[in-house]
Amino acid sequence: VGNLASMSTNGSLTFISFFSFALQSFRRFGNTLSEYFHLLWFWHRALKIIGANFGTSVLSYFIFLKWLLTFNIFSFLINFSFIIIPQFVAAEPNNLSFTGLELLTGAGYFQQTVLYYGFYTNATIHKIENGPSYNMQLAYIFTVGLYFVICFFTLLFSMAKSFCKNFMDLQTYSGNASKILCTWDFNISNEKAVKLKQKNLSTQIKVQNAGAAMLVLPIVASLLNAFIPFFYSWLGCLERYQTPGYHVYVTIIRNIILKISIVGILCYYWVNVVAESESQCWETLVGQDIYRLVLVDFIFCLLGSFFGEFLRRIIGTTFCVSLGLPEFDIGRNVLDLIYAQTLTWIGILFSPLLPGIQFISFSIVFYVKKVSLMMNCQPPRKVWKTAQMTTSFMFLLFFPSFVGVLSVIGVTVWRLKPSEECGPFRGLSSMYAAVSEWIKTLENHTASKWVVWIYHNLITSVLFFFILSVLAFGKNCLRHSHSSLKTKNYKDLESVVLLQIIGILLNTRQQAHEGNIDLNLLVNFVFRIPILAGSRTGLASHQVSTNC
Amino acid sequence: MGNKQTIFTDEQLDAYQDCTFFTRKEILRLHGRYHEMAPNVVPMDYTKDPDVKLPMQLIINMPELKENPFKERIVESFSEDGEGSLSFNDFVDMFSVLSEMAPRELKAIYAFKIYDFNTDNFICKSDLEQTLNKLTREELTAEEITLVCEKVIEEADMDGDGKLGFADFENMISKAPDFLSTFHIRI
Repeated sequence: VGNLASMSTNGSLTFISFFSFALQSFRRFGNTLSEYFHLLWFWHRALKIIGANFGTSVLSYFIFLKWLLTFNIFSFLINFSFIIIPQFVAAEPNNLSFTGLELLTGAGYFQQTVLYYGFYTNATIHKIENGPSYNMQLAYIFTVGLYFVICFFTLLFSMAKSFCKNFMDLQTYSGNASKILCTWDFNISNEKAVKLKQKNLSTQIKVQNAGAAMLVLPIVASLLNAFIPFFYSWLGCLERYQTPGYHVYVTIIRNIILKISIVGILCYYWVNVVAESESQCWETLVGQDIYRLVLVDFIFCLLGSFFGEFLRRIIGTTFCVSLGLPEFDIGRNVLDLIYAQTLTWIGILFSPLLPGIQFISFSIVFYVKKVSLMMNCQPPRKVWKTAQMTTSFMFLLFFPSFVGVLSVIGVTVWRLKPSEECGPFRGLSSMYAAVSEWIKTLENHTASKWVVWIYHNLITSVLFFFILSVLAFGKNCLRHSHSSLKTKNYKDLESVVLLQIIGILLNTRQQAHEGNIDLNLLVNFVFRIPILAGSRTGLASHQVSTNC
Repeated sequence: MGNKQTIFTDEQLDAYQDCTFFTRKEILRLHGRYHEMAPNVVPMDYTKDPDVKLPMQLIINMPELKENPFKERIVESFSEDGEGSLSFNDFVDMFSVLSEMAPRELKAIYAFKIYDFNTDNFICKSDLEQTLNKLTREELTAEEITLVCEKVIEEADMDGDGKLGFADFENMISKAPDFLSTFHIRI
């Protein structure tokens, strides 16, 4: 490995200088491109106003919402280009009449439109004689599949980055030093918000100096029955000023369990009852259910703003002045977003237009929440560990939410029988059969043997995906972690580390192929990555040119 | 690419793009903000690199800085002459470091400068006392201030010299994950 490392060093240095030149040109190109997106200016202004008046913690909700918006617009764009437009070309006329009620129920006129799975043809579309044809079955399953793969890796990368920036190598002490020197929010430029924060800080310091422990949460009494285990495990590692934070955690956990139960029961119902029923087009029925759920959730979100913020402000300023202005409930709102996004992800397979609808609904929610925030809420008084909470929410988005969606979609695509009379997969034994049959036809052509090889050795290889995910997570984590070791020749270390990882990967693959897969080998591989990470420096990845 | 601006040459804009975390459009917008603070003093034509500096009084009245307790120290840390007057380059530098794309190490350097009131390259007890006063609007008594400052030095001073050097400060920053998002001004 030593020789290999030195050989690779020279090669990697020239590679890296070329790479940094490429990076610089790419950055300039990206900047020029972004200037043409005037919309970005709208987000920038909105986020600036929110941050200036309410601080970074509340801002993190709106940034999370904006992030979810990009998932939806991307899904809408690829669905539109690859599934919806071809379907428009091959569409059958819609005989049903439109009454206004369909907007609420999603049934009726909408059943014969591109909104639902049932309308899509299973034919190969030929518009031009002897011209290229378009296989709708493959297009449908590959578009949805590709979208989920991209989502998976995007979430994985973001989680790795966020986790390693905010959790690794931290014994977060919220001691005085950190409070005084690291937590002043420079974003806030509203006079009242600044005064409020200053008052909070001086109160905290006074209370701390007076020795008050403040360990008893008023709300613990009512949650004691359900959450004794959680409470005791946290009591063990309580830090002095963080007690309001644990009240937030407990509430969030309760909400999460509630929402997981709801989605879980719904999915069970759809997969086991609706799919097995003899109805004409069960996928469209499921799609309609999800459409209604999304719509009702959107309405409840707006109502929640109305009651939770607007009415609460009226009560707090006129009838019961001791209550005061409400605070923006970041935890509950973010969980609502995650729930809505989970529903959308489940619904993509059954209703390709759903991400577009969700994009519009999220945009309206952004606007309504922003207006409600400005009109009704006061800046937060509680301490909210923004970076760590954002990481936790990202994990929540990945773990119960995205992984759950993948399992439901997996069961639907691999196990359930598509309905006989509608949709792009009619008549097949499962949706996945479209792909396996296509591979079988490819096997007969020698020119496409490489596609078949990729399919059998990589795509169906679970091991490959596991290793790829761990690699992606580890590599992205390396880029963003903060090791206090700084070595001058970190660029050499990076290439050595990469070579070692590739070597381990190839070795593992070889062993697995020979049937020698050893659990020890795998575990060894998995744990070597953090050790390799520890030897790498924490210098930031931004390349600054030398003539500055 | 079709831009008709005559404020900067293309080479200047490219140089700004490479040396800061801003795009061309943002740099032009920053110039607009710089210009509107003193329209009679700041020229619209920067192609000849004019030597124009705005005094601190004008800069700290910007809405982004007006309510910040550390506004004077921020402006002083980025001014070349140390007195608080900023040329356009200093102005862009300041908002570049305070933007969300600046890396943690860079922000730590300037945060240290800002909290170092007597510019002796150490955050000593008097610096901490001044910081604390600004953070609490002078609502604490002298004993409370002394007590907190002593606790801070106890917690963060690694080399035992009674004051915080840059290494101590950086070590503390690395344990505060919110630092990156709070040490940020959106312009």
